[in-house]
Amino acid sequence: VKMSLAQRVLLTWVFTLIFLIMLVLKLDGKVHWNWFLIFLPVWIFDGILLLMLVVKMAGRCKAGYDPRNGSQELRKKAWYLVAMLMKLGFCLMLCARLDGLTDLMVVYVCVPLWTMLTGALVELGLNIFPSRRD
Amino acid sequence: MLFSLRELVKWLGFATFELFLHLSAILVFSVLVALQADELIKAMSWWVVFVPLFAADGLSTYFTAIVSIRLYQEGERRLAVLRLLWVLTVLSLKLVCEVLLCQKLAEKDQRELWFGLIVSPLFILLQLLMIRACRVN
Repeated sequence: VKMSLAQRVLLTWVFTLIFLIMLVLKLDGKVHWNWFLIFLPVWIFDGILLLMLVVKMAGRCKAGYDPRNGSQELRKKAWYLVAMLMKLGFCLMLCARLDGLTDLMVVYVCVPLWTMLTGALVELGLNIFPSRRD
Repeated sequence: MLFSLRELVKWLGFATFELFLHLSAILVFSVLVALQADELIKAMSWWVVFVPLFAADGLSTYFTAIVSIRLYQEGERRLAVLRLLWVLTVLSLKLVCEVLLCQKLAEKDQRELWFGLIVSPLFILLQLLMIRACRVN
């Protein structure tokens, strides 16, 4: 599954737009849906991303990939998978918290988010200072 | 993940370092929001919570100014002006949104400041990003 840049941009753009509109409607009290419904664009978008990722990983595992280059690539994909799952977990807990289904402290709700952000920062940092890795 | 870093840099028009800066600001900001929501720190105003974001905007502006001046000196005038204009537009839209949101949160009974108004800079930003995506392609 290989999408062109335009398709990926459009996908992200549409879902962000829909989510923002629904968020505004909810916050202004124009609609009284529960938060899980408001996050529907997020669920769909994440679902698509997860599906693409899993398909790619499965394809890579099945085909005899280049073992030297491949394991590095696979590790990266695995990290993406973990990051996506953490983001999903954060959104689910946030929705549950906002709907009053749980009294969990927000600090605990945010732990997956922080883990994910830290990971992303490390990845970006490695890209800025590539010499440090060697 | 969905986009490679190179595509992101090209699309958003920000350097990797600036992305790093904004991401770390978001991280600190989310920590402060969580602390504020749980009321773990007494008497912290929402303006303090938003400080990381404001700081990132300021630093990013500074960084862009330097990069643009360097580009200008090296004779890439068109590129320098375009980059400066684009980054300043994005940052000011982001800043407007942040200030409005902060004001809304800080003062409880602000009936006329509805969320649609607060988020409107983001809608403009989204349109601009779409236009830019077409050009990058």
